[in-house]
Amino acid sequence: MIRLALPKGRNLDAALAAFRAAGIPLDGLDGAGRSLRTRLPEEGIEVLSLKDWDLPLYVSHGIADCGIVGSDVLEEVDGDLLVPVRLLQGRSRLSFIGRETALPAPGTQVRLATKYPSTARRIVAGRPWGAEIVKLSGSIELAPILRLAELALDIVQTGRTLAENHLVEIETVAEVSACLVVNRASYQRHRALLNDWIGRLEAAGVVS
Amino acid sequence: MRVSAALPTGVAALLFESARRRRDAEERLVARLREAGYSEVILPILDYLEPYEAMLTPATRGELYRFIDRDGELLALRADFTPMLARLLAPRLASLALPLRLYYRGDVVRYQEERAGRAREFYQLGAELLGLAGGEAEREVLRLFLELVTAGRVEGLQVVLGFAGALDRLLLAARGGDPLRLAAAVARRERGEVRRAAGRTLLDVVENGVPDRAEELGPEAEGRLLDLYALRDELAADFPGVLLSIDLAEFARNSLDPRLTAGEGDRPYYDGLVFHAYAGPAALPVGGGGRYDRLFRALGAEVPAAGFSISLERLLEAGG
Repeated sequence: MIRLALPKGRNLDAALAAFRAAGIPLDGLDGAGRSLRTRLPEEGIEVLSLKDWDLPLYVSHGIADCGIVGSDVLEEVDGDLLVPVRLLQGRSRLSFIGRETALPAPGTQVRLATKYPSTARRIVAGRPWGAEIVKLSGSIELAPILRLAELALDIVQTGRTLAENHLVEIETVAEVSACLVVNRASYQRHRALLNDWIGRLEAAGVVS
Repeated sequence: MRVSAALPTGVAALLFESARRRRDAEERLVARLREAGYSEVILPILDYLEPYEAMLTPATRGELYRFIDRDGELLALRADFTPMLARLLAPRLASLALPLRLYYRGDVVRYQEERAGRAREFYQLGAELLGLAGGEAEREVLRLFLELVTAGRVEGLQVVLGFAGALDRLLLAARGGDPLRLAAAVARRERGEVRRAAGRTLLDVVENGVPDRAEELGPEAEGRLLDLYALRDELAADFPGVLLSIDLAEFARNSLDPRLTAGEGDRPYYDGLVFHAYAGPAALPVGGGGRYDRLFRALGAEVPAAGFSISLERLLEAGG
């Protein structure tokens, strides 16, 4: 029995579509994966439904053998996981967002709102300007609108929300994709099965 | 007055039953080490930082608890036993009869981001076999390590084997790009990145842990890999409850070539056999080791060295 952790939220659909395309049957999941724990005995899979932010922890502790999680979350809470492939569907960008069209001038100090404080600190360390980083838990785009912060570092999918709120995507700092992550010990134990899954995902053209 | 019983992040007090369990496990392991001819060294918790400066990577530097003593010396709390042992033995080596078999136990302190399962103080027990070069010493320490970790009721024990420098030739022969970055991608089994930068052989290593044909690693690594297969088969027969696998990708960042050693492995000092163990249903890392002659050399001790360490907390959590 292999334990697969699937994320709640925006990456779930991408994950289910990729597994379906690869012919890995998760059809037994009731309510599109909304139950917390589902056993698919015929396939030898147990599916855990977890919050994005908790998923790497469960995988790095080997509670789940593998899972699907956004690279944005993975960068922030890296749990020394293996990352064999990234899904093509549902890609987005991690970008600096603000009211201005340009990043702060060299030497200036600004306030930056984000859900990703560690990632932000790493990125800002290489910039000619400085930032006080403010961690928020959601609706990051509100921070520059309401002037809590001059800048935000957040996920941009279509850019529609930004346009509606007169915000500018100033610079893309990373491409964000949903990744297959695997626990190091589980990779040894379930290598044949995981290699089969990865091969099928690659053959279906749904990962890179 | 009411006094809080709270402790700083990352440390724990063991009381009653949990203290007894840990001491029982420790005594069992120590008894086995003594029986195998190892004698104890007791090392201080405080040491100068300066002798180790050149060996620190940004990651290991960030883990150290450093401070300035009242007399102005820069000190660090013990974060590792092996380098301290190497430094202390260096001036005495000429007068000692080799090989030396030593073991140590005690707390090490490393700063870690606050996260479940990442303690900042943890109890290590380890052994060093000094003055014996080549496969014989590697076999002895790996066998002893397996005996110790299988002594309790640990289930689902997995040990991953490799050796430093195994992939150096393939990494340096890659089509371009940065070989250090490629080594990191191999260690994370990132297939897309490896496929873009390297040939079929490295992709085979990512998938299966080893190349289809050992000679693809180059003559020297080929010999080492064949020896490792033999060692694995021998130990697999003696430890049937342990899943022993060879995975060169796991240790892709443990390089020997100077062009690649700027990359950090998890402990960047292995230069021969390397192994990690995972145990329990939750697959926790419980220990590891290998050969690290170059660590001893860097601290002035010209002596072949192999050894391992075990995290007692992790072993107990896994049922040991």
